[in-house]
Amino acid sequence: MNMRRFLTPKVQTWMHRANPASKLVMMLLLFVMTLLTHRLDFIFYQAVLFIVLLFALSGYQPWKVALIILPFVLVFVSSATTMILFGKGDTLWWAWGLLHISEESFYRGIHIGLKAVTFASQGLLFVLTTSSVALFYALMQQMKLPPKYAYSFMASVRLLPMVWEELLVRRNALLIRGLRPPRGLAGLATGAKLYAVPLLSQSIRRAHRVAVAMEAKAFDGSRPRTYFYPTAYSRYDLWIPVLLIIVQALAYTLAMLYPPFGIADVRYH
Amino acid sequence: MSEMAKRQAARGLKLSDLLVTVLISVVLGVVYHFWSSVYSLLSPLFFQADELVYGMWFLASTLVFLLIRKPGVALIAEVAAAHVEILFGSEWGIQLVLYSVLQGLGAELVFAAFRYRKFSASVAALAGIGAAIGSIIPDFFYGYVQDYAPWLLTAKYIMRAISSVVICGYFAYGLVKAVEATGVTALLRPVDPKDYAALDK
Repeated sequence: MNMRRFLTPKVQTWMHRANPASKLVMMLLLFVMTLLTHRLDFIFYQAVLFIVLLFALSGYQPWKVALIILPFVLVFVSSATTMILFGKGDTLWWAWGLLHISEESFYRGIHIGLKAVTFASQGLLFVLTTSSVALFYALMQQMKLPPKYAYSFMASVRLLPMVWEELLVRRNALLIRGLRPPRGLAGLATGAKLYAVPLLSQSIRRAHRVAVAMEAKAFDGSRPRTYFYPTAYSRYDLWIPVLLIIVQALAYTLAMLYPPFGIADVRYH
Repeated sequence: MSEMAKRQAARGLKLSDLLVTVLISVVLGVVYHFWSSVYSLLSPLFFQADELVYGMWFLASTLVFLLIRKPGVALIAEVAAAHVEILFGSEWGIQLVLYSVLQGLGAELVFAAFRYRKFSASVAALAGIGAAIGSIIPDFFYGYVQDYAPWLLTAKYIMRAISSVVICGYFAYGLVKAVEATGVTALLRPVDPKDYAALDK
């Protein structure tokens, strides 16, 4: 299936219409709040509510959202295991050699896993409702990011497929000359040299050429400029903080009223 | 001529410096993305063996600094590499904003401590350790690593430091030496006052 079509939302929700720059700031504030959450019940409801928001506001069909969040299981497991098996704790449940599963370490592991899932859904909520070009244009216009930074990022993303193409050309060239790196660690080093050096030097040359051309067209922004995509604030930029505050308040209230775990702080004291 | 040299230095990073920095970092960002599978391949080897390849995620900062040799590029490189991950809609997207800024700052501060004048493998290795230290800070808030058993905490970060030294220090240095041999770095590096003096003769 065509990837681009797959990743086009079915409907544009108001989340898509909010200013990307202000959305980014709100998401980063939210991130700090979630990062500093140590109450297990609170993080549980945050994870649940942000997954619900993904379904409600991303603008994608529910089956697509379900497919996209499938790896969350992996995220949860890989984040939680180490802490469950090796964390500090006093109420020992099970021990075998160096492995110590205690009540505290178990719930702390669950907490880390749920936190990772919460971050993943918050990040996806942003990514699925924001185009990267729109983000950079908004950062230039609303956050006064110097244009040379924004255009470097946007141009690099466009240059990336060329680097990929060069990699394929290089692979074919080596193949046709019968050059194969030896197996094992030595092979890894030779492989790096065979691929990394030509790709790096070609990327540098190309980036430099493109940059000179862009400087000639005054993309470095030494003078006031106009923008192809004008961006502005709108009422949706107020809705986002309101929504996030409501969601967090709801998660906290639910954690207080119906705590599934009843653990106020997962840290070891 | 030295006037011109001064003016150039004062303007900071040019668009060409930035574009080269960001393009290399974006390419590395793709490598970073697939590196997580190498990382998980190593895990069954022995416990926390994956930490031995962790240094790869700091490579952008030292590699780009060794290539371009200008202040600020180490930080920008690390952020640019992380931005790819966010663009791809990775599950780790939003944490990487924080991780990349702190890792880039860690490397940048080491290069700054040498006043941006030392470009050796050992300074790059130190910068790698700087980046590793930067990566520990979010680990405390996010992963509660302080609540690991002490032996695990020590082993984890010693292995991470070793991998940073090897990958960001010696591997990056070797790669840059090989790229230097092709002559492209002459396009990027700041011009020495000596070079201007040579023109006046």
